[in-house]
This record gives sequence, C-alpha cells and structure tokens, in this order.
Amino acid sequence: MQVFKVFMKVLKSRMSAAFLYILIFMIIAIPQAKSSTTEKKFERVPLKIAVFDEDNTPESRKLTEFIAKDNKLISMSNDREELIDALYWMRLDYALIINKGYSENLLSDGTNELFGSYHVHDSYSVSYMSTALDQYVSSVRAYSQSGEDLDSAIAHTEDALSQDTEVHVAEAGKNGVNGQSSTFRAYFNYFSYIIISVIIYTVCPIILTMTRKDIRYRTNCSSIHPNAYTIQLFAGSTVLVLGVWLILIVAGIFATGGFYSGKQWLAVLNSFIYTLVSTSIALLITSFDPSENILNLTAQILGLGMSFLCGVFVPLSMLSDSVASVSKFLPAYWYIRCNSMICGNEIYDSGRLASFMLIQMLFAVVCSVLTMLIRRIKFGTSSEVAA
Amino acid sequence: MENTVVKIENLVKRYGELIALDHLSLEIKEGEIFGLLGPNGSGKTTTINCLLSLLAYDKGSIEIFGEKMSPVNYNVKQNIGIIMQNVAVFDELTVQENIDYFCGLYIHSKADRKQYVDEAIKFVGLEDFRKFYPKKLSGGLLRRLNIACGIAHKPKLIILDEPTVAVDPQSRNKILEGIQELNRQGTTVIYTTHYMEEVEQICTRIAIMDKGRKIAEGTKDELKRMIRNTETISIELLDLSDRVKDKFAALPHVCSCDYDGTKLIIGFSGGKHNLMRVTELLREEELHSGRIYSERPTLNDVFLEITGKALRDKED
Repeated sequence: MQVFKVFMKVLKSRMSAAFLYILIFMIIAIPQAKSSTTEKKFERVPLKIAVFDEDNTPESRKLTEFIAKDNKLISMSNDREELIDALYWMRLDYALIINKGYSENLLSDGTNELFGSYHVHDSYSVSYMSTALDQYVSSVRAYSQSGEDLDSAIAHTEDALSQDTEVHVAEAGKNGVNGQSSTFRAYFNYFSYIIISVIIYTVCPIILTMTRKDIRYRTNCSSIHPNAYTIQLFAGSTVLVLGVWLILIVAGIFATGGFYSGKQWLAVLNSFIYTLVSTSIALLITSFDPSENILNLTAQILGLGMSFLCGVFVPLSMLSDSVASVSKFLPAYWYIRCNSMICGNEIYDSGRLASFMLIQMLFAVVCSVLTMLIRRIKFGTSSEVAA
Repeated sequence: MENTVVKIENLVKRYGELIALDHLSLEIKEGEIFGLLGPNGSGKTTTINCLLSLLAYDKGSIEIFGEKMSPVNYNVKQNIGIIMQNVAVFDELTVQENIDYFCGLYIHSKADRKQYVDEAIKFVGLEDFRKFYPKKLSGGLLRRLNIACGIAHKPKLIILDEPTVAVDPQSRNKILEGIQELNRQGTTVIYTTHYMEEVEQICTRIAIMDKGRKIAEGTKDELKRMIRNTETISIELLDLSDRVKDKFAALPHVCSCDYDGTKLIIGFSGGKHNLMRVTELLREEELHSGRIYSERPTLNDVFLEITGKALRDKED
C-alpha cells in the first residue's frame, strides 16, 4: 500500500487548500441556495406624501391622520414649482390637497371636488392614493347611508381599512408529498457546481504529482505491478472523492434544514452519481498533463460553463431551445433534470429518473474509456516491447 | 569466470526513418562499472530505456541476470536501480519518506525497508536532513537524495543516466566516489554520460556510441591504443620558421606537426623520450619558448579519430 499511503501524504499536504476550496464554495453556494427561495415577505412601502388641508375641519384632519398611519407625511410649502421639483427628484411621491368644503361635500356624490393633487402621471403612487382615497370616501358614504352619523362612519371606515390582509405565497409542492423545499432544490443544484470544481482543484493536482513524468519513469522501472499501482491510486482518489462528497452531503443537512428523508435520498444518490462523473472528468483532464494555470482555467470553464448552460444558475425553463439542445451533451443537464424531478418541478417518473441517472453514468464510462485510451497512447509503449 | 549481468544482442530501434539503435551488442560483466559514452543523440538513453523495457524495440534481444528482459519480468526489475538525470522525488514528502516510498516499490517488509532506508541515508550522508523536505535541500543534497531513492533497495545492477548534468564539481566528485563505493560493495554499474573525464575516472570498461552504433569498446587503455596518436606535445612559440618546423616534423615517431602562430602542436605515434627530443631541438635552435606540456590522448581524441568530430560541443 505504498502508493496509497503516499497519495494520502500528498493529500495531507494539500488538505488545507482542499478545505479552503470547499469552504469558499460553501460560503458562496449556501447563501445563494437560500436566496433562491421563492418565499417572499410582503410589506407596505410608505409613500412620501405632502398633505395641504385647505378645509381644516375635524373630518379633514382625521383624513390626514389616517393617511399618516401608513405613509410618511412630508412638510412642505404649497408652492407649485417647489412641489414639482420635489416630485421630479423623488423627494415626494404625492402631494394631496384637501379642498375647502371637504367636510361639507364628503357625503355628496363624486370625489373630484374633494381633492386636488400634484403627482407623477401613471406612477404607482397615483394608483395607490386614488384607490385609497376612493375606498375611504366610499366607505364613509356607505356607513353614513346605513344610518350612522359622520363621526361614527369615519371611525368605522378607519377600522375597516386598517385591517391588514395576510399574504401567503403558496409554492407548488413545498414540503409536500410531491416535492422538496426550494432551498433543498437549490442546494442540490449548486452541488453540481461545487463538486466538479472541488474535485478538479483537489484530485487533479494530486494525480498529476503522483504521475509526474520523472516519478512515473522511476515507478515503471520498479518491480511494482502496474495494476497494483493503478488500484492504489484509484483507492486514494476514491477516499478523497468520497470524503468531499460526504462533507457536502452532511453540509447539505444543515443548509437545507433537516436530515434527508423519502425522495431526498434519491437526490443524495443523484449527487453521488454526479460525483463519479466529476471524478471521471477530473481523471480525463489529468491525462493531458495540464499546467496549474490550465487546470484552474479548466475548472472554471467546466464548473461555471456547465452551471450556466445546464440550469444550475438559471432554471432550465428559462433557457432557449438551442441552449437546451447543446446542454443535453453535458452531464450536469441530466443531473439537474433528475433534481427537478425529485424536487417536484417535473412530473416524477421513476423510469425516466433511472434513465437520466444512467445517462450520467454513461458520461462517466465515456470519460474513463477516453482516459484509458489517452494514457495508452501516451505512456503505454512498454507493453509493446518485442519478445 | 565473471558472470554476465547484461547481454544485448543486435538491438535495433527505429523512430520512423531514423535508426536510433543500429544492431547494438553489449555484454556487461558482474562487478564492472560500464561506461556508455557518446554525444547527445548517440543512443545512450534509448539503450537504457530498451534495457529497462520502457521502450519497445524492433529487433534483437536483451538479457539481464541471464533472463530475458520484459516489462513483466519483475524478478529482474527487483534487482535494478535507476538514477536519472532529473531529480525524481516528491516535494510533499520528507527525505526519509521519499526514500521509503521508492524503496517500498521493491521491498515490502517494513522492518527490512526501515533498515535499507537508514543505510541509504547514511550512504549518501543525509543523516541530518531526514525530516527535510526536498525544497529545503541544496542542489547537491537533492542529487544525493535522488541517488538514495535509486539504491535504497540494494539492487545488484544500478543504471545511472547522466546523473551529473548541471552538478557543481564538488557534488560531482561526491557522486562519482559514491558510485565507486557501490561498485566496491559488489554492485554492477552502467553509467551513461557525455563527460569523458568521468568515464575515464570511474569506468572499468567503456563503450563509445555514435548514431546508434557502438564504435569502440574496451578499457580506457585499450581504447587509447586504438588510435595512432599516443602523445601530444604543445609548445608556446611566438616565432617559428618553416625550416625549424620541418625539423620538428622530422623527429622520430612524429605523426603530425601544426603551428598556428602562437603554439606548436606535435603528435607522436609511439616512442619514448619524445619530450626530451623536443626540448633538445629547442635548445639547438636557440628558440625561446613559453610553456611546454605533454598530454596523453583522451577519450575525446579516440572519438575524434574514429568519427572525425569532437565528443561534445564546446559549450558542453
């Protein structure tokens, strides 16, 4: 087990760098996974409103107080130029003028004579204020017509309009039978980016060190059987890759907020298969003996490129048909399709899920065969020695 | 009778149209330090690679320790140590770990390996650097580590492929002394180089190669006897008439006489007291000379006479 032990020693010397990569990726990926959730909090955004009460009656003052509850009142002089400036520079959203005679006309039909305003045309603040004032006046009139006096009608109107409507956005399949949380989905989607990058950054340099030309020369001269050497190298790589995979899976428990259960295990299996694919890609890269710069560049191109093309960063549904048709030639596409099915974004079909996983395995097999072919072409002359 | 350790017969290696090894035959006996001497591209490294089954060859046969050499002949490989021109060690392992790793490719018993590693460290004098990483070692110490990695498993045959390229003279002497010490302990050594001085210093038998062919083989004295010139006398002279030059050329055993305006170079083919005759003639002609020195032919002269070109370029 000399080769395996040395693999571990070389790994030990690069362990800190490997953990650093994992940490950096986790720091980037987990918040992004969490931020990708579609759960939203809705809150009222207060408008900056200037109220000019030309009526100055108890009714008009109550309206001003009502407006002030949910908005910010701005104190300004009733000067046309100044108000237009303030609206232009967005220091003000709306300027309301409560016309003289407001209290007398409140119970009459129409609202045109009640209010005047300065505002930016077609802005959301105009819509909001028009609706709010209409609602207010309509409610007061409704309560009044039902027999209440004006003070009581205003009080009931304020009570009724002060009720907040609680808004919940229902997400299809959220934590339900058919799907997983969006955080879970996002984490396992980002997993594909993390694992391929970390594996290329950690496995490749170690394999390249172990198979450096002069070291390889010395090893080939020795009495160790090439198969024994390869098996030990493979064992070392497996331990490293499994270690990285386990770290990310355990981290996923914390990131997604609970231990895996049910169909979530299929996502774990899918991530394991994709880890094998990533390892085979990493081994294929090492067979070209790339320099450190080329290796970094390759990791970036593969990690980011596949993530953009295959629906990691941008949902598959938003990709154009031409991009989607290209991405089908990349393993990350099938990994994301599996995740989509497991997480409920696609109709779950165990047969199709298995076939998508098999397609990923096929990528791993193709990469492994290519690696062996390249290595045979580059280094396999020793077996051809004339008998 | 000494046992044959390596037997190469009619080895042919082609790279397309280029013939790298042209019916090469060599026989290396047990206990020898066998020098493979030749300029760059003469086929030395190709020979070694074929010998180690790292390279396929087109024709011929190779036997080591009486067994046919092949990539899967691990019994033979077990008894071969290789030391290359480049330092082939792991930067991530200490001196001791490096030697232990390469020794472990041959020796599986941990106890034996520990002893072998200790002995190798002692042999190359790296006792104080056991825990050092290669990056902390000087160039000379790195070379010693490289040698220790190649010899730790106590091979019966050690192949050194230009181990002293780009090494300072002091480290070079240490390496050469080490090789001689290994040989004294019973190891057969194959030493490839294009430095003729090294070959003359340590090799018991030498094969000179050029263009994939063995052009001469023997001990250094045997090789030098192959050429006409046995002694070269050089005299620093600022003025020499044709008449006097002809007198020098007419001395007994003179085979060549050249004057370039500052130095007279006279080649002798055999004969004794050549230097005495030259100095007597200088006195007779009342010539005032600078330095006078006599040189025995070198392997470069041998190579020069056989191939018509110098063994290595001046920049080497």
